[in-house]
Amino acid sequence: MATHALAPATTAYRPGLYEWLTTTDHKKIGIMYVINSFLFFLIGGFFALGVRAELAAPGLQIFTNEHVYNEFFSIHATVMIFLFIIPMLAGLGNYAVPLMIGAPDMAFPRVNALSFWMLPLAGMLLLAGFLTQGGAAAAGWTSYPPLSEVGPTKSPGPGQDLWIVALTLIGTSSILGGINFLVTIFKMRAPGMTLFRMPIMVWTMLVTSVLVVMATPVLTSALVMLFIDRNYGGHFFDPTHGGIVVLYQNLFWFYSHPAVYVMVLPAMGVISEVLPVFSRKPLFGYKAFIFATAGIGALGFSVWAHHMFTTGSVFLPFFSLMTFLIAVPTGVKMFNWVATIFRGKLSFSTPFIFAIGFLTMFLIGGINGAFSAAVPVDFALHDTYFVVAHLHYVLFGGSVFGVFAGIYYWFPKMSGRMLDETLGKVHFVLMFVGFNLTFFPMHMLGLQGMPRRIADYASNAGWNDWNLLASIGGFIIGTSILPFIWNVFVSLRNGKIAGDDPWEGNTLEWATSSPPPPYNFDRLPEIRSERPVFDARHGRLTPHDEMGPA
Amino acid sequence: MSSTPRKRLAPEALIAAVVVILLAVLVPLVVYSGAGSSLFPPTAVTTQARDTRGLYDIVFGIAVAIFVAVEGLIIWSVIRYRRKAGDDELPPQTHGNTLIEIVWTLIPTVIVLYLFAISWNTLNTVDAVSSNPEIRVHAVAQQFAWKFEYLDANGKVVATQSEPSAAKGGGMAVPVGKSVLVTLDSPDVIHAFYVPKFLFKRDVVPGQTNRFQFTVDAGEATDGHPNIFGGQCAELCGTGHRTMLFNVIAMSPTDYDAWLKALIIQNNATPPPPPSGAPETTVTAQNTAFDKSSIDVPAGHPFVIDFKNMDIQPHDIDIRQSDKTTLIQDQPITDAGKESHYTYNPLQPGTYVFICSIHPTLMSGTLTVH
Repeated sequence: MATHALAPATTAYRPGLYEWLTTTDHKKIGIMYVINSFLFFLIGGFFALGVRAELAAPGLQIFTNEHVYNEFFSIHATVMIFLFIIPMLAGLGNYAVPLMIGAPDMAFPRVNALSFWMLPLAGMLLLAGFLTQGGAAAAGWTSYPPLSEVGPTKSPGPGQDLWIVALTLIGTSSILGGINFLVTIFKMRAPGMTLFRMPIMVWTMLVTSVLVVMATPVLTSALVMLFIDRNYGGHFFDPTHGGIVVLYQNLFWFYSHPAVYVMVLPAMGVISEVLPVFSRKPLFGYKAFIFATAGIGALGFSVWAHHMFTTGSVFLPFFSLMTFLIAVPTGVKMFNWVATIFRGKLSFSTPFIFAIGFLTMFLIGGINGAFSAAVPVDFALHDTYFVVAHLHYVLFGGSVFGVFAGIYYWFPKMSGRMLDETLGKVHFVLMFVGFNLTFFPMHMLGLQGMPRRIADYASNAGWNDWNLLASIGGFIIGTSILPFIWNVFVSLRNGKIAGDDPWEGNTLEWATSSPPPPYNFDRLPEIRSERPVFDARHGRLTPHDEMGPA
Repeated sequence: MSSTPRKRLAPEALIAAVVVILLAVLVPLVVYSGAGSSLFPPTAVTTQARDTRGLYDIVFGIAVAIFVAVEGLIIWSVIRYRRKAGDDELPPQTHGNTLIEIVWTLIPTVIVLYLFAISWNTLNTVDAVSSNPEIRVHAVAQQFAWKFEYLDANGKVVATQSEPSAAKGGGMAVPVGKSVLVTLDSPDVIHAFYVPKFLFKRDVVPGQTNRFQFTVDAGEATDGHPNIFGGQCAELCGTGHRTMLFNVIAMSPTDYDAWLKALIIQNNATPPPPPSGAPETTVTAQNTAFDKSSIDVPAGHPFVIDFKNMDIQPHDIDIRQSDKTTLIQDQPITDAGKESHYTYNPLQPGTYVFICSIHPTLMSGTLTVH
């Protein structure tokens, strides 16, 4: 069959820290994305625990200055969304995509490094808000004007400006990364790797990148307008001078709703790799899954105003219909996953357990989202804790469980060593229990009328027990991270040697060494399906029908 | 590929069956027992809310059915299809099944189209606004208090209620059984009018007047027995967001007419003159700040503050202990652009704080009594 040699990008790494600071290797950049994002996960978690500690009981216990409470939940969400989930998944994609398509690196390695290094800078700028007069941004992660405009009772301090600058930087990083993924996927695939033989993870990164490239500039425009309003006397969002308040929300959600898919699609990609491998079956309905992914991406641009049903400025039937419709491709994927494990032979390694966690929890996040698609029900639930429950079932129950499935799955490839299974299972059980304790009661709180973003509530409102339960759950989630950190720490030193293909994987990253060489592959198996390594292992083709030297 | 269909009933299949049956029994049990009531919104008190509740119940029923079916299938598969130790044989390599895939695309499509149809239908009643409502109220949300203006049929203000709390004799009064049109305006940032028992909220957006209509069920109040529903701002509006509470007081139509008459008389009454000889101080509020940072008054005498509120927000001047939280003397709210003569009772010598109860972090000063 057709064979091509892959020109090595580099043949050796430079020593130590210097290599990490200057590397353009997608694998090292991917790992740095993952580490950086994980550090911000810890920081975002700290803010979340501050919020949960305050809400555990009625009365103000911690935030006697309620402005600081507003800073905490605003920065919690901003960090988790923009500095943890989005870059974490971009990092996993960065590591996996070139390997999965048999490429030696990303298309633009230096741009790749630039995309990464903008993130810690943006994170530091965002957090620097706490050191300024008036503190960090406190108008929520959505930062709706006029509250985010300048004014004594609005957002007078530079913290809000730092938030704008940080998000603009992160957005630029995302756009560069998105372009890089698109060019890599379209131009760098190994011979035989047709579009419909690409792993689902690559497909989800492809659709995600399209969303990022099309939607992020719109957010940036909103941010720039807000910055001009705040600093140069603009009136884009100031109704007293002819500006339009709701314009910002339209622009913001035109990005931020597709951003939900940016945060979920790659996690779906991860579990679409993990479930087949540990079920020893192909993904059920590979092409249908791809069409569903593309369908979600396309429909994702027509549902943004469902975040704005109560503003009185939305064409309600259209956005309600589109929001209901987007449940269909999502449902198709759910059935594909269930059909994949159905009649499989399941081995319960940690990546698989986290993927099952994704299935069971994301299902709830999909179902409770349908409540808000029904506009009258949304009138009751919008801006209450019900919505907080919904978004966490999607972004934590979905994305975060998917992220950990990916980390446990690719850690042996990244490091050459296996993570400890027992510690992994302890991590899962604590996180799963803590997650449900934290977020399920929020459905009840929202139904009973508890609004989001309040530091305190009346002790006779009937919200005490659910809040206490949610806070206990929050600290269990916090605890669950400890066995994970310990696991990584000990496994890097003493973990079992992984070998090339510890999971009996399907995709090309398992056809090279762990960790792979700088140029990724010495040789590639022949690619005849979406599971080239499976084909090679099970003798559809000769196992080492590999490429010869050029 | 070998594909050996399983024929005998494995023990784990029994376990799985038990789990699925348990789930199928437990979930409805929880839902319809006392514990499950917290999975539903509070009892609806308006015509519109009852429609929304009807819709919620349908959505909820479908949601539970899908949850039980899919979650059950996942749990069953996970238990049933565990790989046994030493089993190296591959399971059947099923790549898909076009018929099944079409079916499971069509079924959700039908379900969501049905949900859309009934929710649109409900929306048309919940969101309807008539051209001749029986009662008109203009609600103004501002950092961080609500104000309710009662309008006549031409939209002219006949009475103003600046105190949003029923505990302080205020709140938004409405007659039961009559249609109430609420118009919403904000002079500063976005707020949201939210009453949980109405199963409804609507944003209060600066620069645009939102409106909605409701009718409280006739049985919710009788003569002499009003019913109070709590409400709260639901859109983050700043540091005082959580303090933007208000009450809707449902009254019998007779009680409502009497209440409105009393409010009109109260609005038109000239405030009692301050006790003669009491020392007077003028304090002005602008840009969410007092123009004075300290006031001196003599001990043991009543005193007066002439308060000019030249701001776009409501303010007041309460007296608190120097901890800024313990209330000593409370004064009613002065609307934006209005003036008040606040008369205070005599105080013991010492240092106190005069403070705006609506903006305590931004507006306070030292009151020295000697």
